[in-house]
Amino acid sequence: MFLTGSDIQSIWLTAKLASVVTVILLIVGTPIAWWLARTKSWLKGPLGAVVALPLVLPPSVLGFYLLLAMGPNGPVGHLTRALGIGALPFTFWGLVIASVFYSLPFMVQPLQNTFESIGDHPLEVAATLGASPLDAFFTVALPLARPGFLTASIMTFAHTVGEFGVVLMIGGNIPGVSRVASVQIYDHVEALEYSQAHSMAAVMMIFFFLVLLGLYVWRPSALKMSRRD
Amino acid sequence: MELSMTAKKSFAEFTLATEFTVTGSRVGVFGVSGSGKSTLVSMLAGTVTPDTGEIILDGDCLFSSSRGINLRPDQRRIAMVFQQHSLFSHLSVKNNLLYGFKRCREEHRTIDFNVLVEVLQLEDILCRDVTNLSGGEKQRVALGRAIMANPRLLLMDEPLSALDDSLRFQIIPYLKSVSINFGIPYLFISHSLVEMRLMVDNVLFFEKGTLIEQSSSEQLARNRMGQSPVGYINILELSSMTERNGLCVYRWQGGELLLSQANSATSSGLFELSSKDIILFKKHPEAISARNLLQCNVVNLFESGTKMGVELECNTGRLIAEIVPDAARELDIVMGSVVHAAIKASAFRRLATTQAAS
Repeated sequence: MFLTGSDIQSIWLTAKLASVVTVILLIVGTPIAWWLARTKSWLKGPLGAVVALPLVLPPSVLGFYLLLAMGPNGPVGHLTRALGIGALPFTFWGLVIASVFYSLPFMVQPLQNTFESIGDHPLEVAATLGASPLDAFFTVALPLARPGFLTASIMTFAHTVGEFGVVLMIGGNIPGVSRVASVQIYDHVEALEYSQAHSMAAVMMIFFFLVLLGLYVWRPSALKMSRRD
Repeated sequence: MELSMTAKKSFAEFTLATEFTVTGSRVGVFGVSGSGKSTLVSMLAGTVTPDTGEIILDGDCLFSSSRGINLRPDQRRIAMVFQQHSLFSHLSVKNNLLYGFKRCREEHRTIDFNVLVEVLQLEDILCRDVTNLSGGEKQRVALGRAIMANPRLLLMDEPLSALDDSLRFQIIPYLKSVSINFGIPYLFISHSLVEMRLMVDNVLFFEKGTLIEQSSSEQLARNRMGQSPVGYINILELSSMTERNGLCVYRWQGGELLLSQANSATSSGLFELSSKDIILFKKHPEAISARNLLQCNVVNLFESGTKMGVELECNTGRLIAEIVPDAARELDIVMGSVVHAAIKASAFRRLATTQAAS
């Protein structure tokens, strides 16, 4: 087989990390995107900038500050130790938290755009039919935003799979714990194992190509669905 | 329904300030675009909050700035039909219809789903996707959805404006069924006086955010005749069409009217005739090109701006003609005089066929 056991382990870890991060960001990112799409508060600008920060920030910068925050002397580190969880850096859950921050704009921004395009009107209609704001959100806004949720989830998953800098800063290179696919490729190159690096890189290439292909093939029909009315 | 409203709402370049009390089950809000009609209904529905004021519906306070009351839209039991049908595209026709019903409290549920489906003729489309419906079907579903919410008041915000002429007057009987078949009072918003006269009894007339007039729809149409470029629109129900010498002959109020060949596909229906298209003669003219010449009694005279309205009794029907005061003097038209009204066959315009409107 062209992939070693260690390669498969890193791919499995990457898939697990990306899945967990996507689920967490669906839960955390949806209310943020909803608020950003509907608020008229002056805080919209500052919060929108904070959400978008990982898009432009070097991963090492983000990783550095997260490492400080989660380290034994950081505020998060103090908290986790007080809760009996211990230190988060170089653990899978430390990696998850870092990835949540790093992939936040990939979930929030597509959702925010979708919620903005839906507008207030369908919710007002639902309200005049007796739906409370929460009811209208779950029975009207969420179903209408389905295409946006699919796009945001795919983008978040793919972006988490492709992480490298933040992962290395927070997780290091521990097999089965924090050695994800991108770090595994780096490891192979460092060890001059080019054929193994090729195999892993090919797997990553094919994966990302298929993700983008899926998005491009699916997107027109999704757009059509959201605009047909 | 008794609605009492005192409200003020200011936007950047527009202020709506109104105070009125209106009763009845078929009330209209009339005005041109930008007069504040939609703001008014949005405040009633609760989607726009007045700056100050009070809104009382059937004794219940919906909004009061002084008492700090502002019920959410879902707590008001006021449903709305919009210009655009605004159906939920992720739900089928049936689920759209039941959306409000499912959220309505048990004690308020009086509308029978099967009766509604029958009255609005929705049987054949219940399981369909709403995106594949025609404009008229969508508006009927939107109306049905609002009725099924069992509201105590239904707001209709220009529900016909997005439809073309032929559909518009086919939908009106369905809209009227809200009050006739289901006993729900409604507030109908429109910039069309013809729609007002077909839909409501009492009208609130708004201009630039201010209530100008509160009267019956018929009185408003007469008052506005002199300022309107189309005059007063007579609405006639014509029936039993036969063809004669290249013209269509319709029965109307015990007599007959000749209309142009273009109407040959319509055996009976609603037609409009402008007051400007009726020419009055003191004596029977010897020869005239207009195909309709009716001997009428003048039963009423009224002023409207610089014009004068002449209400005519022809057979058992009534028509309103528009003349200038000089013509009234020259023709010596007074109440009780006999005049001859000439109407061209091409002056009539079909609004709807009676079959579709039944």
